[in-house]
Amino acid sequence: MNQKQRQQVQATVLENRQLCREHYRLVLGVADFAQTEPGQFIQVSCRPVEREDEISDDLQWDQQGRPEVCGEELAGRMALLRRPFSLAGRKQTADGVELHLIHRVVGVGTQWLSDLAVGERVGVLGPLGNRFELPRPDGMAILVGGGVGIPPMLYLAQRLAGRKAVAFCGALTRDLLPMTLLEGGTAGRVDAVEPLLNVEEFSRHGIPAVISTDDGSFGFRGFVTQALERYLDANAQAMAEAAIYTCGPEGMMKRVAEVAASRGIECQVAVERAMACGMGTCQSCVIRVRKPDPAVPPMAGKDWCYRLACTDGPVFKGSDLLW
Amino acid sequence: MADLSVELAGWKLSYPTMTCSGTCGYAFEYADFMDLSKLGAFVTKSITREERPGNEPSRIVETRAGMLNAIGLANVGLDRFLAEKVPLLKKMPCPVAVNVAGHSFEDYVQTCAAMNGLSCLSAVELNVSCPNVKDGLTFGTHPGRLKELTAQVKKVLPDKKLIVKLSPNVEDITATARAAVEGGADILSLVNTFTAMAVDIHRRRPRLANVTGGLSGPAIKPIAVHLVSRVYRGVAKNAGVPIIGMGGIQYWQDAVEFILAGASAVAVGTALFVDPAAPVRICEGLAQYLDKYKIGRLTDLVGALELPGDEPRKTPYA
Repeated sequence: MNQKQRQQVQATVLENRQLCREHYRLVLGVADFAQTEPGQFIQVSCRPVEREDEISDDLQWDQQGRPEVCGEELAGRMALLRRPFSLAGRKQTADGVELHLIHRVVGVGTQWLSDLAVGERVGVLGPLGNRFELPRPDGMAILVGGGVGIPPMLYLAQRLAGRKAVAFCGALTRDLLPMTLLEGGTAGRVDAVEPLLNVEEFSRHGIPAVISTDDGSFGFRGFVTQALERYLDANAQAMAEAAIYTCGPEGMMKRVAEVAASRGIECQVAVERAMACGMGTCQSCVIRVRKPDPAVPPMAGKDWCYRLACTDGPVFKGSDLLW
Repeated sequence: MADLSVELAGWKLSYPTMTCSGTCGYAFEYADFMDLSKLGAFVTKSITREERPGNEPSRIVETRAGMLNAIGLANVGLDRFLAEKVPLLKKMPCPVAVNVAGHSFEDYVQTCAAMNGLSCLSAVELNVSCPNVKDGLTFGTHPGRLKELTAQVKKVLPDKKLIVKLSPNVEDITATARAAVEGGADILSLVNTFTAMAVDIHRRRPRLANVTGGLSGPAIKPIAVHLVSRVYRGVAKNAGVPIIGMGGIQYWQDAVEFILAGASAVAVGTALFVDPAAPVRICEGLAQYLDKYKIGRLTDLVGALELPGDEPRKTPYA
């Protein structure tokens, strides 16, 4: 109970690069960090680390002076709560540990992150949550990421290097794909689901990918779930020991889970929920999960119960989720 | 080094900082981030007689300098609390208070009666911001009812300190504070969250599934300081009942405001989500502040706020 597997540290920005229209890669350097696994996330404080509570030498009560007019409540439009991000990768270097994040700018927190300069400091807390269970040694891993759900797939790919795996990634359009696309490798056919070594983040681990865009601006034209189904239909005999891993929009993950279930393939889903703490204390990130035995608590008498995305997840079995 | 210890109605705490119920789990959730022995006291999540799954999501939304929550008292219920959480609480390296909520007089009395015999608990904090299922009226907003509830609970808690946590969603908080004191409260804690609402302007719907939620965080701090000051001067000081101040405390400076306004101890809630070590950091800041002004004991600062009309102090440091 008291083993320090999680920590609160100040990280240094090593890289902050815009990957596509709305996504940024943020590489944070820390001297040391607890063991992390694909599927886990960290909580990032999206505000300056300079503490507002430091005691300065000029703290003197001046009877003639005016009262202080400034307080924390005047902070303005700045994120108060930390923001959870799944890890997109981790690298051990001579200087310490690199934690890789890929985020999409959607509000004040991610906007603040996107404006960071190399060398600035960021408060990081983690690692949090459970992990993806890796497939059996000779089983095929099928990674399915949609939009901002792609990052954890990149970390999983890193861990799967050298094993049988294929990645499916989709977005609305080409410039919403937060990855390094290699032009030379595109098949040029909008109906092809042939995995290619055309995404640098996957190909460096020897993992071929099928990219889909809703508008056909890169790779397969259509939803990533359609590409997945087509691929599974064509390769049904190779799927005996396969496991599907998915993260992305709720509708996409639901469809992936259905596709997996209909073919008897195990499916692990990484969900995203708004949360305050990330450690099970605020009880806000609940998700409905099937209960095999309604008589067993919690919520005895019901065939479902709430689980927390932060500590029970973010990875759940696709067959357990009540969408 | 200044003396930070405090005594709340005979309950001795080594440090003046506590956790707010509902923001720190049941026991060791923050142990990786904070030396729990440096907490003045740990206050558990609200426990109800029956297990509660809580509200439909979405349960939280961040607002400017604050957050709204509508968790719905999700908790394991009394039986599982006794079976699963009490063994953990027995190992806590700091004093522990359990927070109790209910939806009827019987709920509160039965749950509190079960707590009285637990040696790992020093105090029971009553969450009175829940509606009574019988008539829908909130326990904590009607002085007569609050006095009755406090008195009934007090009878079954002869061995524990009784803390009543006041709701700010009332016309006159001194009226409910007085009712709690008359009912037998040993300690008052204030304030709970403010009922509030946030709107999704694109969907034209409330952002919380529950429609309303409780506002917490730095946004409420100035109101909470004001309410502590009112309760201290209007009720608590004369009655000799100590106050645990809470509401948006994030830094030691915030804690000093509450203590000057009349709080004998402070509790940290929403700030734990941002920095789980906040209570310990606040203590470090308080110690430096006291040393700087050569104040020997934190208790000398309680209620030391000088308002217009007060007898002027001889020195600003006394």
